[in-house]
Amino acid sequence: MSGQGQVSFRNIVKMHGEFAALKGVNFEIKPGEFFALLGPSGSGKSTTLRILAGLDAPTAGRVLIDDKDVTSTDARDRDIAMVFQSYALYPHMTVAENIAFPLEMAKLPKAQIAPAVKDAARKVKIDHLLDRRPGQLSGGQQQRCALARAIVRKARLFLLDEPLSNLDAKLRLETRAELKKLQRSLGVTAVYVTHDQEEAMTLADRMAVFMSGEIQQVGTPAEVFARPNSVDIAGFIGNPPMNLVPARYVNGDVIIAGHRLKTATTMAGERDVVVGLRPGALRMVEGGLGARVDLIEDLGDTAVLDLDCAGTMIRMRVADGNIPGEGDTISITARPQDIHLFDPTTRMRL
Amino acid sequence: MTAKRLRVIALLAISMIFLLAWAFPIIWSVLNSLKTDSDVLAYPPKLFFSPTLEAYRDVLLGSGSILPNLLSSVIISVGTTVVTMLMAVPAAYALARLRFRGKKFAGFYVLATQMLPPVGIIIPYFLVLRNIGWIDTYQGIILIYLSFSLPFAIWLLVSYFEDIPFEMEEAAYLDGASRLKTLWRIIIPQVRGGIAVTVVFVFLNAWNEFLFAVVLSGNTVRPVTVAMFNFVSVEQTLWAKLAAVSVLAMLPVVVLGVVAQKHIVKGLTVGAVKGGGRR
Repeated sequence: MSGQGQVSFRNIVKMHGEFAALKGVNFEIKPGEFFALLGPSGSGKSTTLRILAGLDAPTAGRVLIDDKDVTSTDARDRDIAMVFQSYALYPHMTVAENIAFPLEMAKLPKAQIAPAVKDAARKVKIDHLLDRRPGQLSGGQQQRCALARAIVRKARLFLLDEPLSNLDAKLRLETRAELKKLQRSLGVTAVYVTHDQEEAMTLADRMAVFMSGEIQQVGTPAEVFARPNSVDIAGFIGNPPMNLVPARYVNGDVIIAGHRLKTATTMAGERDVVVGLRPGALRMVEGGLGARVDLIEDLGDTAVLDLDCAGTMIRMRVADGNIPGEGDTISITARPQDIHLFDPTTRMRL
Repeated sequence: MTAKRLRVIALLAISMIFLLAWAFPIIWSVLNSLKTDSDVLAYPPKLFFSPTLEAYRDVLLGSGSILPNLLSSVIISVGTTVVTMLMAVPAAYALARLRFRGKKFAGFYVLATQMLPPVGIIIPYFLVLRNIGWIDTYQGIILIYLSFSLPFAIWLLVSYFEDIPFEMEEAAYLDGASRLKTLWRIIIPQVRGGIAVTVVFVFLNAWNEFLFAVVLSGNTVRPVTVAMFNFVSVEQTLWAKLAAVSVLAMLPVVVLGVVAQKHIVKGLTVGAVKGGGRR
């Protein structure tokens, strides 16, 4: 039953009337990979997942699973398990019946169903709740029940549509870690939709970042964080996100608020650019870019400073013990390799 | 505290008035069904009388027994209910879920049939049934009853189907269930409250129907609502027997109401609580 779980999207277009929800999406997922579809709401990531699941049909393009074209295959014949954002548990069935349902549909003999249900429930630690109904479970337990229903069948693909978004913050962190362990131990290919960049960064082996119906970048979380492809991705990844400041580029330097900063770029000439600076990549030095501290958000071990650099707002992260006072004037800089340059018109990386 | 108590007493008094107004005909029927004809017509009405089951004996076992008519009513009502539900459940599901050409029109048409005054269509119905030879037949009456019970049932059921989240159905597909299996295993168990409510309403409408029955029935098929009029003639009205038949005709309605009460109350409060709780 269980296949390899390799996925390939070829030029997928999805139109809703005149509106293009997906404008030609291409990506490959390797077997056993934890792949995140990350993007703001309305960017097309959920549509992509639904097309992969077979719940929506693409307007154009092809979907391949394990090198087989499944574009027009019914959802039920794709051997895919999915956890919905709302969990979509069957309220009239007990937890055990919910988990058993996919096996029943697969016409597994009754004698095999019971142990499989027990096993799946044990993996997500709800084996003591098998006789309850979903209405009698807490949010976290419902979520586990949905997970158990998805893993019981050992499908070749495991889809998760914002599975953590209905949990409270503490539970979300715990479940996130467990989810990763579960996926590793099962060795199954997982596709995970989220708008939370932190979730994608921590969970995914690789991720695709969606912006208004297109994939703007595919890569490991570290790659995307280190070299965002566009202004939009730069402003989306990282917490707090990258500072994006309009500036002038002159022969390898950028001029921000009258101050010159050396970049790693060697291209000659002069042009307008958008400069990207990670809050954590900024340092305080003598004779740098002058800035007044407007506001301090103390996070305990670090603090985020809102700086006013001659009218330009810049956020900076500093370590504890190194925090200036509000209203102080400081001077900052960044290493050449930490300065990202983007084209202000195409919004792409230079 | 006194103001609150006064309010409670006032509310109780008002409820009692409404309850009495509602219950009076029933009490009147039950009392009169237990009297002799002379006791019924006694003036001033007798508060104390010796109750007798004579009227019941006559209407059930006498020469003009209404037992065949009760059976007629049962056949018509059960037949109408079964056929209605067999067609209304899939139709309501389709209207609530599927996207198809002319869906809006179909939805409007279902409602529009409810807007016709029955009196206006009774003669065409009569002519149609006469031409196909279905006057005074069960299939004729059930067919006509379907024409108004079906739109009503569909309209009632659609809202229950719409309450089931799409994702639940999609989850079932991904779990490997076919559309029919999903309908049967996932959707219908969750709308059983709505189905119970609809069954009760359709059954009661068919059971209580008089106007069409009196025109389209005859000597073979004669439901109890029509047969009751055997006891009303130009010369006299046999009140005790009429009352006895009314009480007998009410019984199945009351029984059904009591049996289905749990479902009806739950069905009427569907959607009151958010989330996929227990129903």
